[in-house]
Amino acid sequence: MSCTEIMEWVNTKEYQELNFKREALVINPPKACQPLGAIFCAAGFEGTLPFVHGSQGCAAYFRNNLSRHFREPFSAVSTSMTEDAAVFGGMNNLIEGLQNSYSIYKPKVIAISTSCMAEVIGDDLNSFILKARELNVIPKDIPIPFAHTPSFVGSHINGYDNMLKAILLNLTDGKKGSKNNKINIIPGFDPYVANIREIKRMLNLMGVEYTVLSDNSDVLDSPQNGNFEMYPGGTKLEDTADSINGIATIGLQKFSTMQTIKFIQESFGHEGLSIYPPIGIKATDGFLMKIKKLTGRTIPEELEIERGRAVDAATDAHQYIHGKRFAVFGDPDEVFGIVNFLLEMGGEPVHILTATGTKQFGEEMKVLLGSSPYGKLANLYTGKDLWHLRSLLMTEPVDMLIGDSHGKWAARDAGIPLLRIGYPIFDRVNLHRYPTIGYQGVINLITWIANTFIDEVDRKSDDAHFELLR
Amino acid sequence: MGFANTAEILKEPACKLNHQPDRACERPKGGESCAFDGAFIVLNPITDAAHLIHGTIACCGNSYEGRGSLSSGSRLYRYGFTTDMTEMDIVYGSEGKLKEGILYIAQRYKPSAIFVYSTCIPALTGEDVETVCKDACKKTGIPVIPVIAPGFLGHKNLGNRIAGEVLLDYVIGTRRISDFGFRISDLKHTINFIGEYNIAGEIWDILSLFEKIGINVLSKITGDSTFREITYAHHAGLNLLVCGRALINVARGMEERYGIPFREVSFYGMKNTGSALRETARFFQDKNIIERAEMVIQEEEAFTKKALSLYIEKLKGKRAVLYTGGVKSWSIISALNDLGIEVTACGVKKSSLSDIDKIKSLIGEERILKDVSPKNILEAIYSTNADILIAGGRNQYLAYKERIPFIDINQERHTAYAGYKGLVRMAEDIVKTIYSPVWEIAKKKSPWE
Repeated sequence: MSCTEIMEWVNTKEYQELNFKREALVINPPKACQPLGAIFCAAGFEGTLPFVHGSQGCAAYFRNNLSRHFREPFSAVSTSMTEDAAVFGGMNNLIEGLQNSYSIYKPKVIAISTSCMAEVIGDDLNSFILKARELNVIPKDIPIPFAHTPSFVGSHINGYDNMLKAILLNLTDGKKGSKNNKINIIPGFDPYVANIREIKRMLNLMGVEYTVLSDNSDVLDSPQNGNFEMYPGGTKLEDTADSINGIATIGLQKFSTMQTIKFIQESFGHEGLSIYPPIGIKATDGFLMKIKKLTGRTIPEELEIERGRAVDAATDAHQYIHGKRFAVFGDPDEVFGIVNFLLEMGGEPVHILTATGTKQFGEEMKVLLGSSPYGKLANLYTGKDLWHLRSLLMTEPVDMLIGDSHGKWAARDAGIPLLRIGYPIFDRVNLHRYPTIGYQGVINLITWIANTFIDEVDRKSDDAHFELLR
Repeated sequence: MGFANTAEILKEPACKLNHQPDRACERPKGGESCAFDGAFIVLNPITDAAHLIHGTIACCGNSYEGRGSLSSGSRLYRYGFTTDMTEMDIVYGSEGKLKEGILYIAQRYKPSAIFVYSTCIPALTGEDVETVCKDACKKTGIPVIPVIAPGFLGHKNLGNRIAGEVLLDYVIGTRRISDFGFRISDLKHTINFIGEYNIAGEIWDILSLFEKIGINVLSKITGDSTFREITYAHHAGLNLLVCGRALINVARGMEERYGIPFREVSFYGMKNTGSALRETARFFQDKNIIERAEMVIQEEEAFTKKALSLYIEKLKGKRAVLYTGGVKSWSIISALNDLGIEVTACGVKKSSLSDIDKIKSLIGEERILKDVSPKNILEAIYSTNADILIAGGRNQYLAYKERIPFIDINQERHTAYAGYKGLVRMAEDIVKTIYSPVWEIAKKKSPWE
């Protein structure tokens, strides 16, 4: 076969079958690795320095990656292990790294995560940290939570989860005291700083006291005031410590908070639960009702009016979305939220694809799809990549692809628009500053999806059909 | 493990200062990317090859599709192929998986070659990637080339050189141009580019200049290249080494093995581009070529000066702090000088000793910036009253937070700055950032303050 013939052949059903039999090879993976999620999580705490124990290079990748998505500086340090460390272990690297980090960057907390190499040689982080304290290279009392986050297990969402658990374990240790009146909110691996702000705004309107556990919204969206600050915000350490005394903890993603929620259920002595992200009217309703139940607060009129506006936006624009066919890919939680929203609008998800995803995710997605007549066409593919997705787009076309920037080639080949939602987004500005959750998120999603379709109509119209009104 | 010769690779005989410990080859203290990254940057622009990353999701998942090298043909090089090693692969070994992955690529994509990158984990667990590649090569008839560049070996530059060795050992000289229906006697005035990666399409501007002069570019190593053109690179008359630090071993190796001389050149700025064209033309000792080169230089300079007239007044006397990654700082300094911009400080963490020498002669020793931590870069900008930071993407948002105009000079930039047209684009970009009205808003206090 010639190159052209191959390029045509890969668009066929016959090839798709072969493609889905592929096991040894991943082509265009829609996932990153654990330590990326870990440093993203660690950055959300006051004065906390994300510290990667592993090979040279890993941390440079993560910093680049996060910096490009948020268009912000991202600070993290690395122990840059080399061959010597492979042979003799990484203790010296870790101790020297802690010493340098403390003396140069003056953090209040150093949050250690690992990349592959440290995990394969089996470095004992706990004893290394004790050794560093013994040697007096760092103060005895500086908190150093650490998480094992090998890249050969799970993905960035698991790294987020493991790091958060480690930080809570460390900072809440021995802090059990009298109950406060706060509810703990865990955003999960959420690449939208505006989502954290939106949650806080809604809770403020309800008069609920809360602590957001890993609040990196101010760190990854700091104001332009002429000064680069290394630690421009984050969850206060005392609030983090006191989170053990809250009335409940609620995770706004299920699969990026599993270990943490389990830990909270076992050791905080209060209710710990996780839900799918409040994307869409019904999911936002569900979130607010849950908060109402947990805190006894009522839903204020402002939110009632806001809900009405979101429903109005949905009715105004339903004709642009109803009956359209979609492919959605990304992290399980976000994908679940988007699918739920599409069903609500009468959009028809056809291909749903995630790189990770557990059995539980599969079952719950099945229930969700079964609950709506618009979910009938949908197939869920877990553990798959963007080359699988490309096959699907070619053999069973859809009207729009929803996912991160990596989807742009598949969308281009299929001749359909890509609506950028998720992580990473490297080729558009400011999207992370718009919420996708809550009633405001509903309005944003409708705006983006409907206007993208309308843009397509304008772009493709001949003169006769090019109109002012759409 | 195939990296016993790391120390050898770090010693570079063609480096004039090799009797001193080459600063560039020192182990860094961190912050820079790794040997895998360096090797990948060099080889990835071979557009019709498949690049398979054997390792955990870290090495591919965080980086694929993120390079600035452009292609005029195949886009196979952009695909993120990885074995995505899992815990089970580490426990039970993944040579079988790797082999299957290679065969899959060979069968489904028919690439010109497959580069297999061995990263930290397979290197640590001692997988025999070289043998797997050899077997797969026999089986498929396609060159399957092992690139043993685990990140823990060291910094990016080491990886560049490992890739250079790979090119010398597995690619260059493996085919003859006569295999493809050309006669060796037809080859007149041929050159190769070494260490040019076609970032933002830079090579296209340069190629057109040589075309006008009548000098033929046989192989581009590796920007916008095909695997095939590199296999017969050894037929060229002259090598132009464009990014000295990264692939000096390829230039030297080709001189030793095939007797091809090399010249270090740069295409940043009018002065550098002119001398590169002139030097290349003179090498061939052909009066016609030399005359045509002079003509092209004259024409292009006239065009450039005219195009620059829009910007030159605005740039005169501006001051810049420079911290480049791979690009030779001295050549950018020269380009900036063409624009009337003075470099008040220059980071040299990633520069070789010979580069540092040239930088010193251009701006003076006191302007050399050895410590390139964010704090120090900012201090250099403020203490020298600089108007702009010219650096890599990782410093972009640091600069913006401090209200400092910025342009990206590294790998990921989207504008081609090489050659005559490139200089005009650079001038335009610098004017756009320095004179953006947003700085006025940003610098003013809120009215109620």
